[in-house]
Amino acid sequence: MKKSILLFGFIGGMFLFPFNANIFAQSGTDSTVIKLAQEVNSLKAGESHFLVVGLTTFGFVNSSTTTNGIKQKPSSTNTFDANHYEFSPMFLWRHGKNLLLEFEPSFDGNQIGVNWACASYFVTPGLIVRGGYFVLPFGMYNKRLAAGWIDKVATDPIGVADAPPASDWGVEAEGGLPLGSMKCSYDIAITTGYQMLHDKLQDGALQNPNGSGLTDNNNNKMVSGRFALLPFSNSSLEIGVSGIFGKVGDTNDSLYKDATTTMYAGDITYLADIRPFLLNIKGQYNVINVNKGTFPNPGDSTKTYSFSNTSTSYFGQISLRPVSLRNKIIRNFELAFRYANYITPKGSLWEQNSTQTSIGLDYWLSWRSIIKLTYETVNSNYASMGISGDKTKTNYVYLQYSVQF
Amino acid sequence: MKKINIKNLIVACLLFSIPVSTIISGCAASAKVAAKTGSQLWSENCRRCHNTPPATAFSADQWETIGLHMQSRALLTETEKNKIVQFLKGE
Ligand code: HEC
Repeated sequence: MKKSILLFGFIGGMFLFPFNANIFAQSGTDSTVIKLAQEVNSLKAGESHFLVVGLTTFGFVNSSTTTNGIKQKPSSTNTFDANHYEFSPMFLWRHGKNLLLEFEPSFDGNQIGVNWACASYFVTPGLIVRGGYFVLPFGMYNKRLAAGWIDKVATDPIGVADAPPASDWGVEAEGGLPLGSMKCSYDIAITTGYQMLHDKLQDGALQNPNGSGLTDNNNNKMVSGRFALLPFSNSSLEIGVSGIFGKVGDTNDSLYKDATTTMYAGDITYLADIRPFLLNIKGQYNVINVNKGTFPNPGDSTKTYSFSNTSTSYFGQISLRPVSLRNKIIRNFELAFRYANYITPKGSLWEQNSTQTSIGLDYWLSWRSIIKLTYETVNSNYASMGISGDKTKTNYVYLQYSVQF
Repeated sequence: MKKINIKNLIVACLLFSIPVSTIISGCAASAKVAAKTGSQLWSENCRRCHNTPPATAFSADQWETIGLHMQSRALLTETEKNKIVQFLKGE
């Protein structure tokens, strides 16, 4: 309770910032003239600007799976890649110089969902406040790299894009600040929160609010945030740390009402010019903890079974593009390699240890349109309550096109 | 959950506004960073997530809107955003 007062106070305090910022203003004729000009500007009717952009991604996939060493039939399938299809217009409406409304509906082949719908107010240098439905500040993949025309391989890293839920309803405060020759940024959100599942097959897992049917099962809000430092003056290195804290138990559930989650993430981005190449390194590591891991045994409800409810996921990606070559064709090629791993709790009913290795050869038709040829192998070991299950290995070849328009 | 006590909330707001605003206004760029041009900042910052868009990709009005959008995505400082938008608008 005290925590939520402090947090609301924190956000509220930021709203008050423009008033006490005057303390720092310089006196003198110059500042009086600037102030007058600002006052005149603030009285002018704000100009509005409406912009429709968006993206689409589509392609083909060939896949073949081996389960416990036995090739599955048919030995390989060639299909339109429905899993990664997306058509998402994005509506940006700017009112004056400080208000931006963003709406991105998205059709994934089956249904129309909403990626985000929110209003951002640029309060003062270094402070943006937002309200609505938005991508949570946790790590960097979901907020910054998930778009098909940005991602350099045809798929999302396993367990990174989907395991910590992506979007939620709430309020957010963020900003970028100079720090001598460095830079830093903060991004804090208070949102509705997630729900811990308690339905046998997924006992102890968290429900992703990004899908349908999120119910706010308690009155406590969830807090998420990311803090980042860009230590070099040319912004080539960014290191981010994130956390998510909140109740996930159902208030009506006497056994699990106190269930809480704590998540952490670390992310890194580094760009280096190694002529003629641009080297691009990206990575993110996530840990998801839930404090409940004892549930009724599905085989015998008079007994319980327990596990340590921690999941981890990470990805590392390296890509190389000869940007400064003269040859226009060759400089539009990019080579990308990504490794990802996802481990769910050992001893749970949904135990999984999956690794995903992806190699991509991309061709950039313009700065925002890309053709990707990705070869990917996903190895998964499944288990249930400590008893080993299937081991699968699937090879994929993707040919994908994505464009921002 | 207990109802939020308005008095506590106001006190918390005031208490937090002082350090937060001090930190925000106390943050300053070094002389080297402050001297950077819009084109330099554009070439250094925009490539961190995607390819750097050329100035010709959008109109001046559109760059104003995209400037706000990217200031939020990339958490650019106000000066960076202003200089980059000015450069992209050809001013
Ligand atoms: C931190 C990552 C990041 C950085 C740095 C970044 N962008 Fe973006 N940009 C994105 C993402 C993500 C999108 C896709 C739209 C979205 O997610 O909202 C995007 C979309 C765009 C678009 C398409 C129109 C739009 O507004 O969505 C333009 C144009 C653009 N960026 C320009 C820039 C410019 C200019 C810079 C340099 C100041 C820049 N970007 C820096 C992440 C970034």
